[in-house]
Amino acid sequence: MAKWGMVIDLDKCTGCQACTTACTMENNRLPGEHWQDVLFYHEGTYPNVKLMWFPRPCMHCENPSCVSVCPTKATYKDPNGGFVLMDYNRCIGCKYCQVACPYGVRFYVDEKAVVQPDIRGAFPSDDGRQWDPPYKGPQDDPSRGIGIQPHGVVSKCTFCYHKVSKAPEGVADLDEDIPELKEYVPACVRVCPPKARFFGDLDQPESRVNRLIADQRGVRLKDETGNKPQVYYLSGGASASVPSLRSMAAAPAPEDAADTINEISDTASRSA
Amino acid sequence: MNNAHPQTSPPAPATHDPAQDLANKRLAILIIALVGLLLAGGQTLANLATQGHAAFNTTNLGLFWGLPIVIYDYFLLTSTGLAMVASLAIVTGAEEFRPVLRRTVWLALAGLLGGVVVLMLELGHPLRALWAVPFSFAFSSPLYWKVMAVSFYVLSLLVLLYRLLRTHWTLQSLRPYALVALALALSVTAIAGVVYGSQSFRPFWASGDIPVAFIFESLLGGLAFIYFFSYLAYAFNPKWMPADLRHLFDTRLPTLLALAIFIHLLFVVARLGSGLYGNAEGLQVWQYLASSPLLYLELFVGLLLPLILLMLPQTRTYPAVQIVASLLVMNALLIARYEYIIGGQLVPLFKGAWAPDLINYVPSMTGWLLLLVAIFLSNAVNAFGELKLGLGSNEQ
Repeated sequence: MAKWGMVIDLDKCTGCQACTTACTMENNRLPGEHWQDVLFYHEGTYPNVKLMWFPRPCMHCENPSCVSVCPTKATYKDPNGGFVLMDYNRCIGCKYCQVACPYGVRFYVDEKAVVQPDIRGAFPSDDGRQWDPPYKGPQDDPSRGIGIQPHGVVSKCTFCYHKVSKAPEGVADLDEDIPELKEYVPACVRVCPPKARFFGDLDQPESRVNRLIADQRGVRLKDETGNKPQVYYLSGGASASVPSLRSMAAAPAPEDAADTINEISDTASRSA
Repeated sequence: MNNAHPQTSPPAPATHDPAQDLANKRLAILIIALVGLLLAGGQTLANLATQGHAAFNTTNLGLFWGLPIVIYDYFLLTSTGLAMVASLAIVTGAEEFRPVLRRTVWLALAGLLGGVVVLMLELGHPLRALWAVPFSFAFSSPLYWKVMAVSFYVLSLLVLLYRLLRTHWTLQSLRPYALVALALALSVTAIAGVVYGSQSFRPFWASGDIPVAFIFESLLGGLAFIYFFSYLAYAFNPKWMPADLRHLFDTRLPTLLALAIFIHLLFVVARLGSGLYGNAEGLQVWQYLASSPLLYLELFVGLLLPLILLMLPQTRTYPAVQIVASLLVMNALLIARYEYIIGGQLVPLFKGAWAPDLINYVPSMTGWLLLLVAIFLSNAVNAFGELKLGLGSNEQ
């Protein structure tokens, strides 16, 4: 059985959010509530400040804390492929999985819309679903969290289960550049303009994702939590990087930054 | 001609029946609680019907559990605290607790009902939860165990109450039932602590001693509730209280309440100290809490003041002091529960455009209405018990 995983090369990622848009279209996400989000933030203090970004899908962990805390087994680890999926028919909307996910990639469907006005109001549903958008994909499998969500449940990225699960058996990599495989590639991977995303079988040593992880020292986000993500990040430090801290409070104090700048200018003037 | 008028008896002198007065006052409490429940519940349901879950002001940015969960856990832990006090008294053969045993067990059930109703209104699929949780056998989930423990806890309380409501009972005869109730109350409380304490990536929550802290907090809540609701049962008139109840309130209970406040204070101060000096990601919230007046209200007005009042021999036996002290403790515990549950979610999991700093959370009007729903519902059930079940009687 495959264990699907993703590699995101942060040195190539431009923060264009094509992945976010593609995922939104593929999975009918609401504006501002993206299964595949790109977080923008800044590092440092003026004038030494950098705009940074960080693409963040669901990590489809090997040892997912969201699965272990679910009191109804509504969220589960699919042994065929290693997907972490939701069964909308079992979810009671307690949100413990959201609380227990260290990556913040789960969404309760009935929260106030992030972007107002709420687009769901313009396309109301008459079959108990959240909304009825004019365009929606044909795939609909509530037991795997695919399709328009019903009310009162938590939703999440499926790794495009509806595409990936149909891939030919034994294939090591799902690459959009291979014509016969491109239909099975997750939407966020397929559209990535700088080709910063790779998708393949982590259980096959010769897969490209495994080679990338080995050759470029792929790292997993918040590995200390023990969740063992199946998404790896590559970073040479040139542009975007895996953020080590999660809050603004950890940024250096302005006075420390000012001292550093003074030291640099003193050194420069002495050298001159 | 007999013109004698039929003899009429002179009007009877107006008698003042204290029992009737008390019954009237209890009926008034029940009516007030029911009216409050109707108003608060009606407005809550209207808000939920028009706004859905969005009425709770929670977000997908990181603040997932808001005021409704705070209220639920507050009432749940108060219930287990009451059950612990009652069952401990029975198990240890503390005869002086006899006058409050029925009331304590009934109040534990009433409080739990208030909390569970709030939880049901917060859940996405409350009816589905009734079958999906028990039959999931999700042994790895603390919430699964919590639901199962609460279910058996309710059963144990019902059995204990049934035994207590019978005409003849002794502490000895109740001991097996009390032991079961005690074990289950401890389990529910400890598991409630594990739900939060096991979240290792949230340092504000994660700690092995949280279940123990919850148990002491519950005990404190239980003792404070016994004080307040016993006074309420007698319309805050100490003259109507039985002598053995007054004896309990003037001798052992102030000491126990003071001791429970002191132990809880130790936990709060220890967490505050280590939190303020800690530099782990997520502990920044302690700085935020320390800059808020709510924390000082909890510490100094809600805990320290009652502790002093209950320790001073001059004040500890005054009914007014006992009522105020218990009320302050009940409020302090609600603040503590709020700060713990909300505080653990305030630091965003990632910095970024969507959450640049601490997450902003303000409880919604619907959230506060739910608090009123829980209060009025618990009070209505409790007042019904006082009226119909003879909760204050002390039968052997």
